Amino acid sequence: MSEVLPTTTVGSFGKPDYLTKARSQHARGKLGTTELEELERKATAEWIRRQEQLGLDVLVDGEMYRGDMVAYFAERLEGFKIGGLVRAYGNRYYHKPIIAGRVKRPAPMTVSWFEYTQSLTSKPVKGMLTGPYTLLDWSYNEAYPTRREAALALAEVVREEAEDLERAGATYIQIDEPAIHARPEEIDIAIEAMGLVTQNLKAKTISHICYGDFAAIYPRVLELPVDQLDLAMANYGYRWLDLFEREPFTKELAIGIVDVHAHETETVAEAAEGIRKGLRFVPADRLWPHPDCGLKTRTVDECMEKCRIVVEATKVVRKELAKVPA
Amino acid sequence: MKTTVIGAYPKVGDDAAAQELRRALHRHDRGEIADGDLDAAYDATTRAAIKEIEEAGVDVTNDGQIRWDDPLAPFARAWGGVSRGPLERFYDNNTYFRQPVIKGPIRADGLTLVKDFAFARAAVTRAELKGAVCGPLTFATLAEDRHFPSLEKRVLAVADAVAAEIRGLKDAGATLVDVEDPALVALPAHIELAREAYGRIAGAGVAICLVTYFFPPDRILESLASFRVAQIALDVRSRETTALGRLDAFPKATTIVLGAVDARNTRLETPDEVARLAEGALRLVSPDRLWLAPTTSLEYLPRDVARAKLAALVAGAKSAGGVEA
Repeated sequence: MSEVLPTTTVGSFGKPDYLTKARSQHARGKLGTTELEELERKATAEWIRRQEQLGLDVLVDGEMYRGDMVAYFAERLEGFKIGGLVRAYGNRYYHKPIIAGRVKRPAPMTVSWFEYTQSLTSKPVKGMLTGPYTLLDWSYNEAYPTRREAALALAEVVREEAEDLERAGATYIQIDEPAIHARPEEIDIAIEAMGLVTQNLKAKTISHICYGDFAAIYPRVLELPVDQLDLAMANYGYRWLDLFEREPFTKELAIGIVDVHAHETETVAEAAEGIRKGLRFVPADRLWPHPDCGLKTRTVDECMEKCRIVVEATKVVRKELAKVPA
Repeated sequence: MKTTVIGAYPKVGDDAAAQELRRALHRHDRGEIADGDLDAAYDATTRAAIKEIEEAGVDVTNDGQIRWDDPLAPFARAWGGVSRGPLERFYDNNTYFRQPVIKGPIRADGLTLVKDFAFARAAVTRAELKGAVCGPLTFATLAEDRHFPSLEKRVLAVADAVAAEIRGLKDAGATLVDVEDPALVALPAHIELAREAYGRIAGAGVAICLVTYFFPPDRILESLASFRVAQIALDVRSRETTALGRLDAFPKATTIVLGAVDARNTRLETPDEVARLAEGALRLVSPDRLWLAPTTSLEYLPRDVARAKLAALVAGAKSAGGVEA
């Protein structure tokens, strides 16, 4: 990556209407798996083209083939059962997975999607995984006597997947831990589990963290063995940056500069100001502008607009940096 | 030894018939059904929840909190000076609530839950009915405050509003009201402030159950024991705790509501496990002062598991019932 302030996204994009319809037909048994996968590949290819048009630097597959970031893996791992419906908020429900037996990975879960997506572009595509602590925290644990033992068992299967992604050519592997602050007293477990996942990787490793009390795990979270932390900032008015005043931030930072849960998008000027805030703590070659979180709850057009603002704001700040004599 | 429930009961089940409320809410959002139709779906689901709880053999029920979007929502919606903000995670759960935003003095008419309580009174057939409100420390510490100059003033203002709601429930016939306040054990440093808040609530003139969950009460157990409440609910399943061996710290008049089945894990306790836990408590508390309950809202579980947990709870309570204190 030659450019400073490399741009990327967190992982998911909105699904086009034809895919949303196809997924619901498939769920009702009215569309075959092969037909659904054909449409998922089509939507993935469209998102690769859009990301290239937008000028993003490191791409993602957009997760056209996933619903939920934990259930997708739970459905493919031995030892998991898919549980009944549980409410997340309002009228939103999900099938919360149950760890019912010893966890094993019978086959790679994301590698063929990575290979397909990378074949569509010369830009790097990130391998996208959910971290062991989040897989644990967002499931019921019936099988392992302690949460630590469950997290370490999950780390083993995530490690296998990450190493397969690397063998398939991934140079960026993102292992998301949005639940890492659910129980701040368990940060040691999250760190130990992530250590198992990343210990043999040469790829750049990233972990996305969002929606919780980041202050409660800072600065301990700097011990999470990944190269880059990927944080929602715009939604929180950049308040986590204040923590970096007291304890310097020591990793690469992917900084969220547009809120993903609002239909409206920040202006280029506002997003650029977010990048400048980040530059006070992290140098330009280690600061990655991007949206706060995955964009799967937004429409395709809203996703495009939010990414456009990220790219435009980055261009503005890159220009400013170029003017400053080294 | 009585059994009871805490917090919300699952609003939907996995079979199509148990998803009426979910469908009604979707259709209401799209403008396809009127407010009255949605109300009817809420009523039917409330009746079904109470029926399931009663059929499990639970002695003291609430209304299942079917109309509550989250533990703060009814109050954040009803109280003057408060609006609803962004989604936030509810403690260590993958469950989210709308953060209340306090923009001015809090005004509560005390009528927020009165209609629901009256409906539930007509719906119960066998069980005793209790009311439930949010805890003042929990509401105050989870809210965004743009009005009060200090946490103290905010907590006490919320306590006054909560007290008004409890008086409203009392006037509607409630004799026992749960005050669900996990912040007490999540933020034990504020225990003295909470004591002042509960002093105000005690004046409402109805028996109060101070409900704690998710976190152990270990650091503040003796302080909690001096709160002037009729009952205290403790979660001894979510995390390691010494509380079970220290129940003699509570005054002889206080009823302990012991969280005996884990409402946040699908692993089903056997009646025997429940009984053993109860028998541990019965070494320090007499049977007439010990109630058994789920650790928290059963809404963290799928509905069929919630039902099975209640069955285990009731069976465990029965088999422990004969044990001498």
